[in-house]
Amino acid sequence: MTEAPILIVGGGPAGASAAATLAEAGLPVLLVEQRDQLGGAIHRQPANGAGNHVWRPARHRRNWAALTARLRACAGMIEIRTQTVFLGVDGEGRFLFDDRRAGRVFASRPRAAIVAVGAVETIRPFPGWELPGVMTAGGAQVLLKETGRPPEGPILIAGSGPLLPALAAQLARAGNPPVAVLERGRPWRRPATLARLALAGGPMGEAAAYAAALALARVPYRGGAVVTRAEPDGAGLTVGMRIGADERVLRVRHLLIHDGIEPNRVGIPLPAPEAAVPVLLAGDGREALGADAALLDGRRAALQLLARLGAGAAELAGLESRLERARRVQAALAQALRSEPVEPAPETLICRCEGRSYADLQALDGDASAREIRLMGRFGLGACQGRFCGPMIAALRGRPVPAASPPRWPLRPVSVAALARLSTDETE
Amino acid sequence: MSGHFFWSGMPVAFLPGETIAAALLRAGIADLGRPDGHLPGGRVFCGIGACQGCVVAVEDAAPVESCLTPAQEGLRLGPLPATGAGHD
Ligand SMILES: Cc1cc2nc3c(=O)[nH]c(=O)nc-3n(C[C@H](O)[C@H](O)[C@H](O)COP(=O)(O)OP(=O)(O)OC[C@H]3O[C@@H](n4cnc5c(N)ncnc54)[C@H](O)[C@@H]3O)c2cc1C
Ligand code: FES
Repeated sequence: MTEAPILIVGGGPAGASAAATLAEAGLPVLLVEQRDQLGGAIHRQPANGAGNHVWRPARHRRNWAALTARLRACAGMIEIRTQTVFLGVDGEGRFLFDDRRAGRVFASRPRAAIVAVGAVETIRPFPGWELPGVMTAGGAQVLLKETGRPPEGPILIAGSGPLLPALAAQLARAGNPPVAVLERGRPWRRPATLARLALAGGPMGEAAAYAAALALARVPYRGGAVVTRAEPDGAGLTVGMRIGADERVLRVRHLLIHDGIEPNRVGIPLPAPEAAVPVLLAGDGREALGADAALLDGRRAALQLLARLGAGAAELAGLESRLERARRVQAALAQALRSEPVEPAPETLICRCEGRSYADLQALDGDASAREIRLMGRFGLGACQGRFCGPMIAALRGRPVPAASPPRWPLRPVSVAALARLSTDETE
Repeated sequence: MSGHFFWSGMPVAFLPGETIAAALLRAGIADLGRPDGHLPGGRVFCGIGACQGCVVAVEDAAPVESCLTPAQEGLRLGPLPATGAGHD
């Protein structure tokens, strides 16, 4: 057999950038992506029949076009497997995958792996966040890119972060502006931080364009505003909110929430750059720094791996300093939008999968270990394996909940039939 | 050209390349059913395969995340049955 490939999990900007860099250096690459197309969270491709392309900064479009051209130029070195879900590493060190098209699980022993599975959004829970009609802002944005059409009916956007005005502007451009954007923080109370951000260029130019689009569509953007509850109401939702000292109620069809992003680490192997089969993380899945940084970080992981495998890596220092700049922008943004945590009402669901509430969490001992939270509280045991309640519990308790280690597999549900067809000699 | 799949027996139109989630939402189907008396029902939430809230049952095949899975002509889909099938 020929040389074992380098495995790359995730076909977003980070994974694609790593794949191109390694293939250009002459190494065979296996690029695995769970969707039917590459692109990741930011470059979700429109379905064939979709209408208009969603408005977004030209810089991102150009970056992605350049990257896909590089992938095409070294297509001979890259095997791309789409609709294939990475399930984790088993006790024997085999990397396992669910090929959804063929309906079978296969195993692989790569020479090294770069895992670039992106971020998940965090949310701050309130009674009713678990209802149909409530979606994450990022999830709604991905769907908007896929279909080119905004959801029908009144939309409310709430939470915190630069994604809120960005999505609001995109919805307005697509023909259905949200009724309001509620931002938890009060950015204009931190003028010094805003000034520092303005000097950072790129992202603030983007923010100004979004702000102009919102003003044009007359979408109110309110600071110090939070959703307090949502209740089912016919085909829509009744949403209670607090804006400063005012309490208000609005009827909407869709409530889109978002309070930032975190690396998606659940079930992902731990980084082991010096192991016999080196494993590196890249992109938002390593550190949530956004799309521009994900491109750099994928390249950085590839160069680190090349150095480890004996090829040069002269460019690394330059990449590090550009990543450091992205880190400073993210930190300033977080500071500008910082807000005090609010304690949720006791009935607020924390774990949606198992129906566990904030009252159930409080019933646990204040210094309960991660294991106790899991086993006694039954938090983080459901289908999402704690991807959403983990960060919520950490925020509410003021410290991170240590992950299960070593990571459990499969990190996603897999059909028992597909698993049964896996035999040792199927290692590819 | 567009096709149809079935949600609890009801035809739902989709555009080529569209995910099951996109087609269901466009048809106004946001509530993906309640597998169990006390647990919240299915719904599309994160859009990227992380929350598992959008997992639907597929006739003669394993359940899938509707937000990741391209719609296909004639698929027969429905809410997950009770007792958390597909999670093990
Ligand atoms: C829902 C969402 C929407 C976002 N929208 C924007 C935006 O519009 N603009 C912006 O600047 N930033 C956006 N972000 C931030 C975004 O994460 C980064 O900007 C950028 O996409 C990060 O690139 P990445 O390659 O690290 O990760 P991603 O782009 O997230 O790529 C990760 C890839 O890995 C795949 N994957 C995940 N798990 C598996 C698995 N187990 N097996 C196989 N494949 C897997 C995913 O399908 C995805 O294609 C968004 C984030 C989220 C979570
Ligand atoms: S909506 Fe979260 S997994 Fe599909």
